[in-house]
Amino acid sequence: MLEVKNIKYSYNSEYMALKGVSLKIERGDMVALLGKNGAGKSTLFLHLNGIYQPDEGKVFIDGEELKYDKKSLLKFRQKVGIVFQNPDDQIFAPTVEEDVAFGPLNLGLPMEEVQDRVEEALSRVGMSGYEKKAPHHLSGGQKKRVAIAGILAMKPELMVLDEPTAGLDPQGVVDLSRLLKELNAEGITILISTHEVDLVPDYANKVFVLVDGLLIGEGTPKEIFAQPEILEKANLKVPIITELFQKLEDEGIDMQEDYPLTIEEAKEKFLNLLNKN
Amino acid sequence: MKFDMDYIAHNNELTETNPYFKLFLTAILLIVTLALDNLYFDVFIFVVMSIVILAIAKVNYKSYLKFLSLPMAFLVITCIFLIFFFGKGDVIYETGIFGIVVTTDSWHYGVYTFMRVMGCLPCLGFLALTTPIAKILHCLGRLKVPKIMIEIGLLMYNTIFIFLNEIDTMQKAQDSRLGYHSYFTSFKSLGALSSTIFLRSLDKSETLQNSLDSRGYSGELPVYEPRKVR
Repeated sequence: MLEVKNIKYSYNSEYMALKGVSLKIERGDMVALLGKNGAGKSTLFLHLNGIYQPDEGKVFIDGEELKYDKKSLLKFRQKVGIVFQNPDDQIFAPTVEEDVAFGPLNLGLPMEEVQDRVEEALSRVGMSGYEKKAPHHLSGGQKKRVAIAGILAMKPELMVLDEPTAGLDPQGVVDLSRLLKELNAEGITILISTHEVDLVPDYANKVFVLVDGLLIGEGTPKEIFAQPEILEKANLKVPIITELFQKLEDEGIDMQEDYPLTIEEAKEKFLNLLNKN
Repeated sequence: MKFDMDYIAHNNELTETNPYFKLFLTAILLIVTLALDNLYFDVFIFVVMSIVILAIAKVNYKSYLKFLSLPMAFLVITCIFLIFFFGKGDVIYETGIFGIVVTTDSWHYGVYTFMRVMGCLPCLGFLALTTPIAKILHCLGRLKVPKIMIEIGLLMYNTIFIFLNEIDTMQKAQDSRLGYHSYFTSFKSLGALSSTIFLRSLDKSETLQNSLDSRGYSGELPVYEPRKVR
């Protein structure tokens, strides 16, 4: 679906933000890109739909090389939708519906189709009834959902979200991850950047770890969270659940090299351990 | 109470009234008021439009006073200058300072300017307080106002809110650290605030550009026509 080959990018002669990143995402994947602040996550994302042009390296989407002329850009930007971290950076129109309609209209779709898509996207994110509202009168979580609807309405094949949980309340985070899972089940490939590790095993089937412009880890959540040296380099921690079981192991309980990552897994493990004793 | 004009425009009894009608009514009233240049008519328009805004649109009277008071400072200063420093004709009052006098001419200018503005303010207020900017811009678009002007208006309108929010947050942060404790620190803080705001807005505009491009922006904002409510 998406392949990035050895991308290098520098903002100026002293600072190289990406030092040769290669990664591959398959159709239907739900991928988490982990990395601390300033690791180059956002910079990498802006390469995926051709906002930034790499100094070196190439981006392929569906096996097709990303080109930077107007026509190809429009095509690729329809396929790869980016939800920005701060919804205020993305939402610009005076009403919610106009903002959601912006992308589809740029694709040159007929008005009927655009209206359908706006309705559908807004109901998808649970914002039906807010069509005529002014975005700056909405709460942070609501703005986020409008921003996602704006991308959804373009019917992307890959949806890229830059720190989508930043600034959301706990219920907002739960709702968002449910929405993303639903979208993923419907066939949209999803790439999320984050440094909140607790939820990652819950949704992601693949994890990349980016540190100082280099990918230092790649694998399933199980594989990644079993490598403390990678996590340490990336300023990350294991999910809090996993930490608990590691602590329990320190107390002499044998975990057989299997640390649960999610609440569900932890529950099973706990019951198993209890039954054994 | 915080004065939020945009909120009022979205939430009053006349929000859903045909925006063309409001736009034309405002334009015609403004032209008539300016053309007639009659003191009685100015007062008449002021009273009528104020009643429309307060009684029909049901705008809170405190908000309305606030709306009137904002341009009032400019108006008063302008008229004082007009009265004391302009015009020829017979002297009707001597201040005795530097030979500054009030003449029949300047008195006439001052009073008429004041009343004209007072007549026009509620007309504009009628439009500004009852019509969301989105609707006004739509009308202007239909009326073949150049697209570029509407787009600039739209983007400015959007950025004003981000801008005000940013200023508000930064000012509170400065205030929390006693940035406005004395005159001297106030000047310093205000200076720092304005330069940072400038840098931040450059930053913001770049991010906005990126996010618009990400959704296929081609240099022209398309116009969305919402489905008619069935």
